Amino acid sequence: MDRLMAVIKREYLERVRTKWFIISTIFGPVFLAVIMVLPGLLTVRNMRAIQVTDFRIIDATGSGLGERVARTLRDRAERDPARIAAAEAGTALDQLAETEVVPTPADGVAAAESTATADVMAGVTRGYMVIDSATLSSTGKARYAGKNASSIAEMNQIEAALRGALVSQRLEAAGINSVRADSISRVRADMETERITSNGRGGSGLVSAIFGFVIAFLLYMMIILYGQNILRGVLEEKTTRVAEVVISSISPETLLAGKVIGVGAVGLTQQLIWLGFAVGIGTYGMAMATASGAVAFTLPTVTVFQMVALILYFLLGYTFYAALFAAVGAMCSSQEEAAQASQPVIMLLVAAVIMVQPIMTNPTGTLGTVMSILPFSSPIIMPLVMSGTQVPAWQIATSLGGLLLACLGAIWVSARIYRVGLLMTGKRPSMKELMRWIRYA
Amino acid sequence: MTELALDIRAISKSFAEHTAVDGLSLAIPKGSVYGLLGPNGAGKTTTIRMILNIIGPDSGSISIFGSPNTDRRVIDRVGYLPEERGLYKKMQVRRALRFLAELKGVSGREADHRIVWWMERLALKTPEKDWGLAKIDELSRGMQQKVQFIGTLLHDPDLVILDEPFSGLDPINAQALKDVMVELKQRGKTVIFSTHLMDNAERLCDSVCIIARGKKVLDGTIATVKAEHGANTVALSVSSGREVIAAMLRGDPAVERVDDQNRYFEVTLRRDADKQALLRAIVATGVEIERFEVVQPSLHQIFLEKVGATGVEPGMTGHG
Repeated sequence: MDRLMAVIKREYLERVRTKWFIISTIFGPVFLAVIMVLPGLLTVRNMRAIQVTDFRIIDATGSGLGERVARTLRDRAERDPARIAAAEAGTALDQLAETEVVPTPADGVAAAESTATADVMAGVTRGYMVIDSATLSSTGKARYAGKNASSIAEMNQIEAALRGALVSQRLEAAGINSVRADSISRVRADMETERITSNGRGGSGLVSAIFGFVIAFLLYMMIILYGQNILRGVLEEKTTRVAEVVISSISPETLLAGKVIGVGAVGLTQQLIWLGFAVGIGTYGMAMATASGAVAFTLPTVTVFQMVALILYFLLGYTFYAALFAAVGAMCSSQEEAAQASQPVIMLLVAAVIMVQPIMTNPTGTLGTVMSILPFSSPIIMPLVMSGTQVPAWQIATSLGGLLLACLGAIWVSARIYRVGLLMTGKRPSMKELMRWIRYA
Repeated sequence: MTELALDIRAISKSFAEHTAVDGLSLAIPKGSVYGLLGPNGAGKTTTIRMILNIIGPDSGSISIFGSPNTDRRVIDRVGYLPEERGLYKKMQVRRALRFLAELKGVSGREADHRIVWWMERLALKTPEKDWGLAKIDELSRGMQQKVQFIGTLLHDPDLVILDEPFSGLDPINAQALKDVMVELKQRGKTVIFSTHLMDNAERLCDSVCIIARGKKVLDGTIATVKAEHGANTVALSVSSGREVIAAMLRGDPAVERVDDQNRYFEVTLRRDADKQALLRAIVATGVEIERFEVVQPSLHQIFLEKVGATGVEPGMTGHG
C-alpha cells in the first residue's frame, strides 16, 4: 500500500507542480468560455445587429408588395432592441440603407435581373430579391441572389419581412385598412421552455440543455486531456528506461494503478478548483442578474442521485480510457508512434462527442438511448441525456453496469500489455503479437 | 558450507525467436563479489531480470537468501542498477531519489538523510554546489549515472546487482564506483555485476561465471578458474624478428593460439605440449629473446578460449 502511495504521490505532485497545470487551471475556464459562449454570443449579436436593408427588390407583382417588404424591413430594423439600446446609450448608429424597390412588368424581370446582377458584382448593392405573381399565390415563392445569400440570419430576416408583408397584404385584401393590417402582422412570439421531471419543475429547458452540454463537454475534455497525459507518462518511463528500475521494486500493476489514480486525482483537483470558480461566479452573477432584473432563470436542480451518477460516470469513464491509453503507451517507443497508435482510442471518444449535437436535440431517441448504454460513449452521453430528460433507473443501472464491466476488462487487458510492453523496445507489436502478450503475460 | 546469497537452479527462458537462457544454475555465496561474464547476447541481462522477478523463468527456480524471489520482502533487500540507465528527466534529483527509496519501503525522512550522505560521498553535493536541487536533465551523463547508482543503494540492500556498471563511466567515476563496491563487500554485502570487460572482473571479483548462448561455460573462484587453465600459457617477447617468430608460432602444432599483445605474445599451448621444445625451437630461429615466461592466463584469455569455442550467436544484439 505504501508503495502504491509513493507512486500516486509522485504522479500527482510532479504534475501539480508544473506550469502547465497552473496555466491550464487558470485559463481552462476562460478558454472553455471563449470556445463555447463566444460563438453563441456572436450569432445572437449578429442576428440583432445586422439589419438587412441594403438590397434591391425587383417587384413584378404589380401590387406594391415590394414597397411593403421594404417598409416592413425598415420598421423592424428601427424597432430592433439592440438599436434602441444603442440609441439610448448615445452610441452612433449606422445609417440604415434604403431598400431599393424596382417595379417591373412581368416580361421585364429578366432584363432587371441582369442589371441587378451587374450592380451586385460592381458593389452598388448587396443582392436582389425577385417577387412576382408566384409570390402572391399560396406557395409564396420568391428568389434571392446576392453576396450575402449564404448568411442564414440575413435570409431569415428577409424571409420574415416578406411573410409579414404578405400577411398584411392579404389582410388588406380582406378589407382591413393598411395601418391596422401592418400592426396586426407585426405580432411577436417568444416561448420560454421549462422542464418537468418526476420531482416537479426542473428549471428552464434551455438552461438544463446547456448544463448537460457543458457537463458532457467537460467530461470529454478531462478524459482526453488526462488520458493522453497518462499515455505520455507511460511513454516517458519506457523511453527513459525508468520503468525497469521501478518494476524491479514494485509490480507493473501497482505502477499502472498508481499512475491512473494519481493522474485522475490531478484531474479531480482541477475540476474542484473550477467548480469553486463556477459556484463563486455563479452566485455573484446570479445576484447581479436578479438585482438588475435582466434575466431570471433558475439553475437546473441536481439531485443527489444525479450527482452520484455523474461522479461515477466520470471516474469509470476516465479509468476506462486511462487504461486504454496506458496500454497504447506501453506498446509504443516514440511520441510519433504513440500519436498514431492512440487514434483508435481517440476515435471512440470522438464518435461519442459528434453525437452530442443530435442527441441534445432529441435526448429520448434511439440514438440517445443506445449511445447512453454503450460503454465507450456512455460516460459522455448519459450525463447529457440525464440533464435533458428523466432517464429510467434501469437504463442508468444497465449503462453503469456495462461501463464497470468494460472498465474491468480494459484494466485487465492493459495491465497485461503494460507488463510485457514496458520492457520491450523496437517495433510496435502486431495484432497477433499483442494477443500473445495478453494471453501469456 | 557458506550460506548462499543467490541460488539459481536450472532456469530457462525462451522468447519467440530464440532461447535466451538455457538451464542455467548458479550458486553465489554471501559476502562475495561475483562477476557475470559473457559476450553480448549471452543472456546476462535476461538472467538478471529473472533474478529480480521482472520476468519469470519458463522453468527452474531462483531463491535469494533462502527465500523464493517471488517474495516481495526479499526483493526489497536487493538493489538493482539496470544496464540501460534512465531517470525521470524533469524531476528534481532529490525527489527522484526519494521516490526510488520509497519504492523500496524506506520512509521519506530516512531517505533524505541517506541521500545527503551519498551525494556528499560521490561529490554531487559540495559546499559550492548542491546538484540535488537540479533537475535530472541538467546533469551530465556521468552525474546521472552516479545518481542512479545512489538510487540503487539507498535502501541499504544486502544483495547489489549491477548490470554493466562501468559502461560509459570515465576513469575517475569508475574508480569511485569500484571503491564503493569493495566497501560493500567489506560490510558483508553481496555484489553481483555483469560485464564484458575482463580486466575489471579480474581485479574485482572473488568468483566469476562465464556464460555464452544462455549456457554456463565455467564458474568458480578466480584462483580455481586460473589454476584450471594455468601452466600452458607463455609470455614471449623478442627484441627483433617479430615476424619470424609469429610465423613460426603459427606453424607449430604444439601451439593452440597466439595472441599478439603488441609488446609480447601470449602463447597458449596445447595441454600436453612441451614448453622446453618450444623454447628450443625459438632459440633455433636465432632471434634475440627478451622474455620467455610461463604465466597464469588472464581472464581475458580464458574467456576467449572458452567462449571462442561456443561463439556468439550471430545476429543477436543488445540485451545479454
